[in-house]
Amino acid sequence: MNFRHKFAFLLPGLVVLIGILIFPIGFMIRLSLSSWDTFYPGLDFIGIDNYIRLFTDDSRFWESFFRLSFLSITTVSLQYIIGFSLALMVWRDIIFKRFFRVLFLIPMMTTPVIMTVIWRTFFHESLGPVNDVLSIFGVAPPWLTNEHLAKVTIIIVEVWQWTPFMFLLLLAGLLSLPKEPFLAASVDGAGPIRKFIYVTFPLMAPISIGAIIIRLIEASKIMDTVYVLTSGGPGTSTETSSYYIFVKGLREFQFGYSAALSFTYLIIMIISLTIISKFLVKLLIKK
Amino acid sequence: MRTFYIFIKYFFITIWSMFVIAPFLWALSTSFKDFNSVTGGAKYIPWLQFEPSLEGWSVLIRSQGKGGVNIIEPYFNSVFVTCSASLLSIIFGTLAAYALSRFTFKAGFIRNNDITFFFISQRIMPPIVLSIPFFLMLGFLGLLDSLLGLILVYMVLLMPIAVWIMVDFFNRVPKEIDETALIDGCNPFEAFFKVVLPNSIPGLIVAGLFCIIFGWIDFFFAFILTFTKVQLLPVAIVALNSSVTPWWSLSASALVSVAPLIIVAFIVERYLSKGNLSGALK
Amino acid sequence: MNLITKNLSFKHENEYYLNDISLEFKVGNLYTLLGRTLSGKTSFLKTIAGLQPLDSGQITFEGKDFNSIPVWKRNVAMVYQQFINYPHLTVFDNIAFPLKQRKMKSSDIKNEVSSAIQKVGLQGFEKRKIQELSGGQQQRVALARSLAKKAKILLLDEPLVNLDYKLREDLRNEFKNIFSDDLSSQSILIYASTDPMEAMQLNGNIIVIDEGKILQHDTAKEVFENPSNIKVAEITNEPAMNIVNGSVESNKIILNQNIQIDLPDHLKKIESGKYFFGLRASDIVLDDSGFQFVVDLAEISGSETFLHLHQDNLKLVSLINEVKNFNNRDKVKVKIMSENLYVFDEKGNLIFSPFKYK
Repeated sequence: MNFRHKFAFLLPGLVVLIGILIFPIGFMIRLSLSSWDTFYPGLDFIGIDNYIRLFTDDSRFWESFFRLSFLSITTVSLQYIIGFSLALMVWRDIIFKRFFRVLFLIPMMTTPVIMTVIWRTFFHESLGPVNDVLSIFGVAPPWLTNEHLAKVTIIIVEVWQWTPFMFLLLLAGLLSLPKEPFLAASVDGAGPIRKFIYVTFPLMAPISIGAIIIRLIEASKIMDTVYVLTSGGPGTSTETSSYYIFVKGLREFQFGYSAALSFTYLIIMIISLTIISKFLVKLLIKK
Repeated sequence: MRTFYIFIKYFFITIWSMFVIAPFLWALSTSFKDFNSVTGGAKYIPWLQFEPSLEGWSVLIRSQGKGGVNIIEPYFNSVFVTCSASLLSIIFGTLAAYALSRFTFKAGFIRNNDITFFFISQRIMPPIVLSIPFFLMLGFLGLLDSLLGLILVYMVLLMPIAVWIMVDFFNRVPKEIDETALIDGCNPFEAFFKVVLPNSIPGLIVAGLFCIIFGWIDFFFAFILTFTKVQLLPVAIVALNSSVTPWWSLSASALVSVAPLIIVAFIVERYLSKGNLSGALK
Repeated sequence: MNLITKNLSFKHENEYYLNDISLEFKVGNLYTLLGRTLSGKTSFLKTIAGLQPLDSGQITFEGKDFNSIPVWKRNVAMVYQQFINYPHLTVFDNIAFPLKQRKMKSSDIKNEVSSAIQKVGLQGFEKRKIQELSGGQQQRVALARSLAKKAKILLLDEPLVNLDYKLREDLRNEFKNIFSDDLSSQSILIYASTDPMEAMQLNGNIIVIDEGKILQHDTAKEVFENPSNIKVAEITNEPAMNIVNGSVESNKIILNQNIQIDLPDHLKKIESGKYFFGLRASDIVLDDSGFQFVVDLAEISGSETFLHLHQDNLKLVSLINEVKNFNNRDKVKVKIMSENLYVFDEKGNLIFSPFKYK
């Protein structure tokens, strides 16, 4: 079915989007070819020097990618496992089913920055409740000042914040599953574990993959949490790629270089996310 | 064996529930403290462990001149910007999603799926990547520190969500219904507005909810692109996070700001239980 | 005025959905488009409706070029096999929808809708929502909507195939009544079907289509009695006509080394040579004086039995008018009613038929 009217449907949105984006992206690319910073403001042209520097002289950038991968893969996996478990638990009848469902949704509805501000006070090493409770056991871990624990703290906050998103998508998926396969499994004498492995999980596979991909895309942008909680520290231990770009651009004001970083980051993310999506979808088709 | 499962189930739910509530309780308790209560080590229960004070809360009502924190205006700004941007994103996004679902586009090697991918891939960009260019662009247009500027920028964030959800939804509505409408005398616009749209309400609601949620929680763009005239809620609150941290007012304002979306949580759950959400999200 | 299609062709990914179709449809007639699944029936209907583009060809209706008129301006009606109605409207509003589009007066709309509802037997259902109705009722609403439109061209794509058996029978019987007004008031009805029985029951003009090509179009009687080639014979019979590669020698029909039959009356003029012989399943009967065959499979269907038989390399299907239980590898004796034998030449075209002497 094809009519001339189809353009009237598509073009408004597409034009608005491209219109708003075209200058920023174009400008970013142009900026990346200049050496605009506080000392040499202005749009000169230095060719691909920024990119050369990025590839040869900037290990901090590439390290940030590793940290980002570690953080996003860990948090998304945890969110998936916990989110799925929670969804399974409130799926069928339990006491206060609706209360728990609403409760489990709430963290996602809060503004991450604001909650992180609270988390900062929560994990405060001398005045916060976490260490207060733990001091009973004689430990007071340096949540925000130890390079490894800082990562853990970020993971905890991210899991708190975004597990509801997985929970929501997976619960919606579970609620839409047909009843027949489960009845058939019961008739065949399958217990809850077998039912899960052979019926629930396979049926949920497409939704799981969709949810994981979406969460990975969102998780890779992690910024608010890092900004408020650790400012990328201690040192650079929680510095993710986007935070590093932020530092170079809006703290050190190396606009040209950070634009080059941005563009490279974008290309890498698009390629890797596309590869991961295709891989997961192939996995699904195989099943 | 069954009771073991049930025990585990309730145990896990309880633990997670406590984890979910913990920061709120802490914030609630902290909002009633003052300087001494906070620095003297962690305290929890008012009156028992410390003297409660209404300092944190009164700061919200006092005007800025007397050292208060104005959150009423940022509150309304946030509501206005979020709702406007969501509305526009849904309008443009739904129209585009319908086209991508029903018609075939071919421009060289670009097909429907590529266009859809283009829309959705906007979510991959972290705010930082676009913030400096947007900063310059809005500056050039005189839209820095303005509501309109923010709405334009938010549309880039939210339209992909609307497109993603609605394309999936439209793909589930049988094409034959559109065809019948055409045969019955509707041109494609009438077919869309009179027949397809009335049957897409669940999808629109889901798209709307997600747009509102993701629009409300943005911090970064508001942070970079506004200063004093226009402030959004997250920015106003984080601004309090200076070195001499007034934990009490921070906690109070934080609690106030997260309250509205709890209502959204109720709406989402209601829809989930009715089964409408599941169809739209698959 | 008539609907004329000339040289319609449509290709998609190297497959011909429509292959050079030229047909003329006269007003006041019912045409059954008979063909297997994926033979091009739906493509053809959609092309007439305007929902599918053409690679080449012309469609003329009432003297005007139909191709340049967009879907919504053509006065056609279409009923799908999946009961398609507007889910958000009541029964009344569903049927009234096209009339409202035409900006008809409210009172006129009410009359038209009522009379359509009467015809399909849904009185009292006006205020009901579509989701509350059963499959049969939903399809009746779809039919009523196409009636109320008073369209000049009515397209029906296997409308009864998703209904249960009894309902299908009932509706098919009522069919002629339901559409009697349209037929007499100068509309064209095109009914697509895969079921030869249904095509015969409707007793209109049959158009046999296969792989996008029109194989034969004629009255039902003519297509049944004289299928123009082997493909048509297979499509228009359920079970498919038995086609046997044989020959005529010394005035006898030879089907294989054991089976030789005397020439029946209508084949007395046949010359010796190789032919394809066609025999309906119902023309192979159980008879103790006949040839011996071995049973491969006995399928009981309703009150009939299909017997799949073989003798050496010769495979036949026989239709028996009673329920008889046979086991595999049973031996039976059958007689071939040679007076109903068809003869096709090596290219598959009809040369001799029991109903017409060529």
